[in-house]
Amino acid sequence: MALANKKQVEEMADKLTESADSIHERLMKAIRDKEIDQPNAQSIFQDEAILRQRANGLYIDAANSVITDLKQSQTSVIALVDTANKKIKRIRDITKFIDLIADLLVLASAVYAAKPSPIITALQEVKSDIEAIGGE
Amino acid sequence: MQSAPECLIRVMKSIKYAILITLLITIVGCVNLKEVRDFAGESAKLSAYTELTTRFRDTYQREQPYVSGAAETLAKDNDKRRQDAYPDLLKIHKTVSLYMQTLATLAGDETFDLSKGMDDLASGIKTYPNLGIDEKHVDAFSSISKVVAKWITSAYQERAVREMVMDGDPHLQTLLDGMLSLVSYYKKTNDNERKSIVGFFDIEIQYTNTPKDKLLSTLAKAHLQSKNREYQLADARYAEAEKGIMSIKDGHKKIAENIDNLSSLEVKTVIERIAKDIKTIRDNIEAARS
Repeated sequence: MALANKKQVEEMADKLTESADSIHERLMKAIRDKEIDQPNAQSIFQDEAILRQRANGLYIDAANSVITDLKQSQTSVIALVDTANKKIKRIRDITKFIDLIADLLVLASAVYAAKPSPIITALQEVKSDIEAIGGE
Repeated sequence: MQSAPECLIRVMKSIKYAILITLLITIVGCVNLKEVRDFAGESAKLSAYTELTTRFRDTYQREQPYVSGAAETLAKDNDKRRQDAYPDLLKIHKTVSLYMQTLATLAGDETFDLSKGMDDLASGIKTYPNLGIDEKHVDAFSSISKVVAKWITSAYQERAVREMVMDGDPHLQTLLDGMLSLVSYYKKTNDNERKSIVGFFDIEIQYTNTPKDKLLSTLAKAHLQSKNREYQLADARYAEAEKGIMSIKDGHKKIAENIDNLSSLEVKTVIERIAKDIKTIRDNIEAARS
């Protein structure tokens, strides 16, 4: 790229677009004033179209340089997302741990009441809580 | 085993006091992250940039019938380069969107909701009538558990949100600035495309003035009408996309600047308004599609 930075590239593209706009304006006037025949008008319009394609090519250059500029920021943001996801997992672990405590209390109550069936149910709850904490 | 009932009664008594204390701590210490969550959720859903990136990629498809000769050669070359850049252009949006989704989850309420488990616990205890624990105790235990759980997680959650927002803001502002530049390039590219197509008709219609050309001229004018409408709608979408990105920039900056003050009514109102703006922008873009 002969032009140094994306600002310059964009400015150059804007200038090419403006030139194409001026050509078009002048061409339309010439057509309305019947100064120009159809083949000549088409040929001038072709030049205008080429300028617009050149300008659009420069906008792609500018877009590509934005992509390059943003690589580092993207990497940093992805790293932040990973960290946040770890924290989300940790908060979920805390909630699971609280579930365990709650079920342990039920177990304690069941043991105190000395009823076999609630004891077994409560034990199973505690078992699944522990699996939930250990499992992830 | 003998001391167990006394112990249980003592625990229940201390629970009553603990509830009062913990409720106070919770009311004072717990920051409401609802506004942050809503803002991040709305921001993640704004897909205007993605749609316009796709429109940018497909420029050649639309201009192809109207270009020829040297202009066509250039147009094809531009087309290839736009196709090549497309995945990288989309990735920028994906990164921002992923960040916002994660922030919304991190600031989320439902994600870490404990009340279901606690209600199960309460009903679990109620099935043991001979325990000497009456319903009042069960309710007390259930509410204190919820409060304590909420308190533990929300303190951690608050700190995590704070770190994410503070570390993320500079990078996010850079990415959003970049997206603004890109949308302006898309818009300028679209302007040149429009002028190539509309300009073609403007010129050729001028030469279709014989009675023999009546049908051709009418068809051309009708087609031009629909093309003009298409570009008007597209222009509206560029404008809305720019507004949307500006709102996301603004909203995230406000959250970062007021990270220690998120419970203040003023800050909440501002963030809430920005989230609403983003939603409105999304609706407007939806309207500009038809």
